[in-house]
Amino acid sequence: MNDRDRINDNLNEMSDTIDCLYTTANSCVRNKLLNHLRRNVSNLSMLVQGLQIGESTNSSQISTGRLFTPDELAGYNGKNGNPAYVAVNGIVYDVSNVAAWGGATHFGLAAGADVTSQFASCHAGQPILGKLKMVGKMKE
Amino acid sequence: MNQTDSSCPNFQARLETASVLVHRAIDAVRQKRIQKRNLIWLELTGCSGNIISLLDGANPDFKSLASQMVNFIYDNSLMAAEGEAAMDQLFRLTGGDYILAVEGAVSTKNDGLYNIIGRRKDRPVTAYEAIKKFGEQASCVIAVGTCASDGGISAARPNPAECVGIQNLLKRKVIKLPGCPCHPDWFMGTLAYVMLFGEPELDDRQRPLMFYSTLIHDICPRRPYFDQGIFASKPGEKTCMFKLGCRGPVTRVDCPIRKWNERVNWPIGDDSPCIGCAMFGFPDKMEPFISYDTT
Repeated sequence: MNDRDRINDNLNEMSDTIDCLYTTANSCVRNKLLNHLRRNVSNLSMLVQGLQIGESTNSSQISTGRLFTPDELAGYNGKNGNPAYVAVNGIVYDVSNVAAWGGATHFGLAAGADVTSQFASCHAGQPILGKLKMVGKMKE
Repeated sequence: MNQTDSSCPNFQARLETASVLVHRAIDAVRQKRIQKRNLIWLELTGCSGNIISLLDGANPDFKSLASQMVNFIYDNSLMAAEGEAAMDQLFRLTGGDYILAVEGAVSTKNDGLYNIIGRRKDRPVTAYEAIKKFGEQASCVIAVGTCASDGGISAARPNPAECVGIQNLLKRKVIKLPGCPCHPDWFMGTLAYVMLFGEPELDDRQRPLMFYSTLIHDICPRRPYFDQGIFASKPGEKTCMFKLGCRGPVTRVDCPIRKWNERVNWPIGDDSPCIGCAMFGFPDKMEPFISYDTT
C-alpha cells in the first residue's frame, strides 16, 4: 500500500466516522469516534508532510548534501546557534524543529550523534525518516 | 492563549467523561444493577502521591467513590485500622472478589526486603509478596501512576532497590494509568468503566484510550506558537516551550483539557515545560527537564 492509498483509506474512515457521529447520542461512543477522527487527522498530516518532503528531496537535497565525519556531526547538537542533526543509516537529518526533539533531545538521546541502532530498536517500520529533512551523508 | 477552548465539543465531552461514568456507576450500584465492588489500594515503592492526588478529585470526588461506588477495604494511608489489624483487613480478602489498584513500583532486590508494607504474624510483608499474592487473584488490576505502570521515579537510575513496574511481576493484563501523579479523573473514570462495562478500550500499552489517546502537543493551547516557530527562551514566557525541551510532543494524555487541582491549571499553563511524567521511560528518558541555548 502506498501513501496515496493510505490517504484515501483515512479519508474513507473519516467519512464513516462522521456518519456514525450523526447517529450516536452516547457520550462515551462519541468520545471514541472523535478520537478516531483525531487519529485520522494526525495520520493525514503525517502522510501529507511525507509526500511534500518526498517531492522536495527527490529534486536535489540529498545529491547536494554535504558529507559529515562523526566529529563534525557532534558539533550539530542544537546548542548555541548550531542546528540539531542526527544520523540514521548513513544519512544525516535535521531535527532542529521536529516536535519530538524538544531541546534537541529525544528519549534520553541528544542531537549530534549517530542514532541508527536506537532508531531501529524503537521505530522500525514506521514512516518517520521520509518526513525528516535530509542535510547530507556520513563519510564512509 | 493559555485557556482551553471551552466551546469545543470534543473538549467539553472529554471533561465530562469521568463524571458521567462515576455517576452512572453510583446510580447502578444504588439501583442494584451492578455490585458494589471491593477495592484494595496498595501503596508500594513510591511516594504515596497518587492517593493524595485522588483525594483532590472534584466531580467526581473521592467521597462519592469511597462511600457510594466501592467498598474501600484497604489503603494504608486512609484506613482507620493500623498495624496487624490493618493487615488482617487486607488478607481477609484473599480468595474473594476485589479490584486491585496499585501505586508505586515494586522493589525486587533481596526478595523485596527494601520495601516492607506491614507485618503479619510476626513476619514482614514485602511489596513484592503483596503484589504477587493480590495481583494474580484480583478480578482487575489497575496500575495507578507512573511508578506502578513502568517503574517511574522509583526505578530511575541507579535504581538501588531494583524496582520494576507491576506488569513485570504479573502474568496478566494490567490497566496502566501513568502520570506523576495520576489524575483523579483517570482513575475514577477507569474504575467506573470497569464496574459498568468491563475492560475499557486500551492502546497497545494498556492505557485507556478515553484518557490517553492524544498527544499533549496536539491539543496544547500553545500549539499555534509552535506552528509559527515562536519559541520561549526561558520559563515564564508565554509562547511554545519546545526549545526548552518540552515533552508535550511525546507525551500522550489529556492534561491540557482536564488540568489539575480542580481544573485550575497545568504546567504549561503556568509557563513551565511538560516534563513527560505520564510517558513511559519517565524520568530517565525524559531528561533533561529543561534545556537552554537551544537553537
